[in-house]
Amino acid sequence: MPERALEGLRVVDCSQGIAGPYATKLLADNGALVTKVEPPEGDYTRRLGPFPGGTPDPEQSGLFLHLNTSKRSVTLDLATDAGRGVLRRLLADADVFVTGERTSQLQRLGITYEVLAAEFPDLIVAQVTPFGASGPYADYDGNSLTAMAMSSIMYNTGAPDREPLVTGGEPGEYLAGVHLWIGILAALEARARYGGGDHIDVAMCDAAACADEYNAAMYGFQGAVRRRYYSRHIFGYPNDIMKAQDGYVVVIPGANGFKSPLQPPDVISPMALLLENIELDQDVLFQQMGERMIRWQDFEALVEPYFSTHGAREIVETAQALRLPFAFVPTAADLLADEHLQARRFWEKVPAKSGELTVPGQPFKMSETQPQAGLPPRLGEANDEVLSHV
Amino acid sequence: MSEGRPGTSGQLPLAGLRVVDLAQVFAGPACTRILADLGADVVRFESARRLDVTRNLILTDNDGKDHHWHRASYFVIRNVNKREMCLDLGQEAGRDVIRKLVARADVVVESFTPRVMANFGLDYERLKEIKPDIIMCSLSGYGQHGPMRDYGAYGMGLEPASGISSITGYPGEGPMRSGLSFTDPYSGFVGAGAILTALAYRRRTGKGQYIDLSEQEAAIPIMGAALLAYQMTGRLPERKSARSDWAAPQGCYRCAGDDRWAVISVTSEDEFARMAGAMGHPEWAQDQRFATQAARQQHHDELDELITAWTSQRDHYDVFHTLQRAGVKAAPVLDGKEVLFDPHFKARGQFDIIDQPLLGKRPVQRHLAAKSRRWEAKGRTHAPLLGEHNDEVLRELGYSDEEMASLREQGVIANEPALPVPPALVAMALKLPYERYLEHGILQAVDADYREQLGIAE
Repeated sequence: MPERALEGLRVVDCSQGIAGPYATKLLADNGALVTKVEPPEGDYTRRLGPFPGGTPDPEQSGLFLHLNTSKRSVTLDLATDAGRGVLRRLLADADVFVTGERTSQLQRLGITYEVLAAEFPDLIVAQVTPFGASGPYADYDGNSLTAMAMSSIMYNTGAPDREPLVTGGEPGEYLAGVHLWIGILAALEARARYGGGDHIDVAMCDAAACADEYNAAMYGFQGAVRRRYYSRHIFGYPNDIMKAQDGYVVVIPGANGFKSPLQPPDVISPMALLLENIELDQDVLFQQMGERMIRWQDFEALVEPYFSTHGAREIVETAQALRLPFAFVPTAADLLADEHLQARRFWEKVPAKSGELTVPGQPFKMSETQPQAGLPPRLGEANDEVLSHV
Repeated sequence: MSEGRPGTSGQLPLAGLRVVDLAQVFAGPACTRILADLGADVVRFESARRLDVTRNLILTDNDGKDHHWHRASYFVIRNVNKREMCLDLGQEAGRDVIRKLVARADVVVESFTPRVMANFGLDYERLKEIKPDIIMCSLSGYGQHGPMRDYGAYGMGLEPASGISSITGYPGEGPMRSGLSFTDPYSGFVGAGAILTALAYRRRTGKGQYIDLSEQEAAIPIMGAALLAYQMTGRLPERKSARSDWAAPQGCYRCAGDDRWAVISVTSEDEFARMAGAMGHPEWAQDQRFATQAARQQHHDELDELITAWTSQRDHYDVFHTLQRAGVKAAPVLDGKEVLFDPHFKARGQFDIIDQPLLGKRPVQRHLAAKSRRWEAKGRTHAPLLGEHNDEVLRELGYSDEEMASLREQGVIANEPALPVPPALVAMALKLPYERYLEHGILQAVDADYREQLGIAE
């Protein structure tokens, strides 16, 4: 097997769910030895599925299999002295300890950062929680949805007069996982330079708030508060998903899609060329962004005859040839069949009872140390190996 | 680097690390902002003939008249802690500056479409000849190879392209984007982690490497469960607002006040009983319609009506605290003003006050959520003015005053944009006066006294 970036790094991971396990997957697929400590009943994602045919099976949960590649699993009951004793022995050999517990729970278990730092001064304790290790809401519980609500992103997603929409999937969880991963790697770099362990504390809602594009900035720099308006950008229309004959496309004129007032009259805009109607350049909706934004229904009516009679693939390919940065709106099925992703060898496979399961591949490619998904563990499969060692 | 060396905020993890930052707009600058926050000396570049477009976006006080390229909040919040050169890469002398910088750099980050760096003669193969252990990260929409590599890619297209929009929306209606470019910052954050991974490898082996990051690929895991469910059950996941297979009730509920909302998520029978109690209806926990998660999924609409009758009488923060204190997952849906005043974000320092030239003190959001006991990834120095560090960086590279004057004369370096159009046309702070946005409900409010409210009035 080719060399990987983080070989030699030892991680003990007691976190469950998505955020913590995704952070340690990013370490494990890059070569770190990650010992996943599960409660006797297993990480709760083993019970979330999705399952083959919809039949629950803790060894076949798709979410668990994706998030726990390249790790080994031991089961410990941290509510018992014996369980915590084994954990301490594991930590004696570890560089990083990951936990998803709130601070109050760590206090009950007697494994707060302060306690662990006294025993293991070089250990990096990485804690990911819905509302942080400290702060006024540190005892509160949450998930991706609560994080996105706090971030301001949700408030601006969806239609006016209807409830705000949450971004699909589990965005808050993955954001928190990525920030935890960065924090761990930064702490390891600091330890290599200056020595000593650290406590890394990531709140899921903070990670989501870091992804705000400009909602808070609009208030801090001009006192303006955005309202929810069909998920549109404040600085341009259309940048919208629109219906094509057989699906959807993202209509993005980009910097040069419409004519600039300084261009000579005989220049035809790429948007007019795409829509096969050069008269459109004379319309005020093609000339003035502000009008277009306010009178968007009129603009939709103007472009509807073209979109409703052309397929998504033809629209996007024609637009891209005109240097308009349009995009596709694939479903899960479309992505799995996507030629571009296949040509890039993006997908990875993990074995499952139902045959090979295709899981999202590595989020980046490296020329020397390409990360790679190894096998996800059966519950407690490394118990004998690990317990005999400690 | 003026700040960021070991000091009062502790020893920063990347102090002394040198980053050449050829990234523009959002994803790349979010990536290098994290490196800068961690202490790296990030020198960013833009061209006088083609400014970073975000220097036009969301101008302070909607005012585009006076040096608008120094007034864009969008640019400021992603570029604090960095230095900047305004350099013409179209000229050999400009590319020569880059090569000299790379020769003493650790990391290069760029976010052009794939052919551009090769056209400049600045692709990884060539930069590696100058600095064998260089780490280079290319951030692009669709990656450096594959049939769509040359596709133009904007952030607003890449969230849909990653599949996420196919599962975002109201039941029975079309797919929707997030209300801003969501996968841009996400892929920038992933880029920062990828670079730190490569740095760990270089520390151990002395070897650099090249990182190819496709924003589409980086974001696909976010909708991962939907991909897995499709394979395992043959069913495409539906759009269903905030509802989830894993929780019931789960939703976004109207609260008292104008357009105020709170989310609630219940994932066990015990939690449901706590919610029912907190809402003054302990009997719901005995109701057969709500006895199990499957039953609650089936009667979700009825449940939503009962919950809304309670939430709509209360402020969204009241709903949040009442439910959380009872042990129920909930949160207020905060707008762009409320995040600045929320006690949690205040206590955890989500916004640093930066004294920005021409703009005064402004709140600038953090880009790295990780808090450490030993260092703080915070905003420290203002976002650079156009070409602010031209002379400083050239002097470090050994250029003489005469050479610098000659570069200025040839237009290789500049401090003013070579605008192709009069500033009045570019200065489109917002496209319309505030009144029209307010009238159409695109803006909720504009507070004239916002600086007093934020405590940053001069």
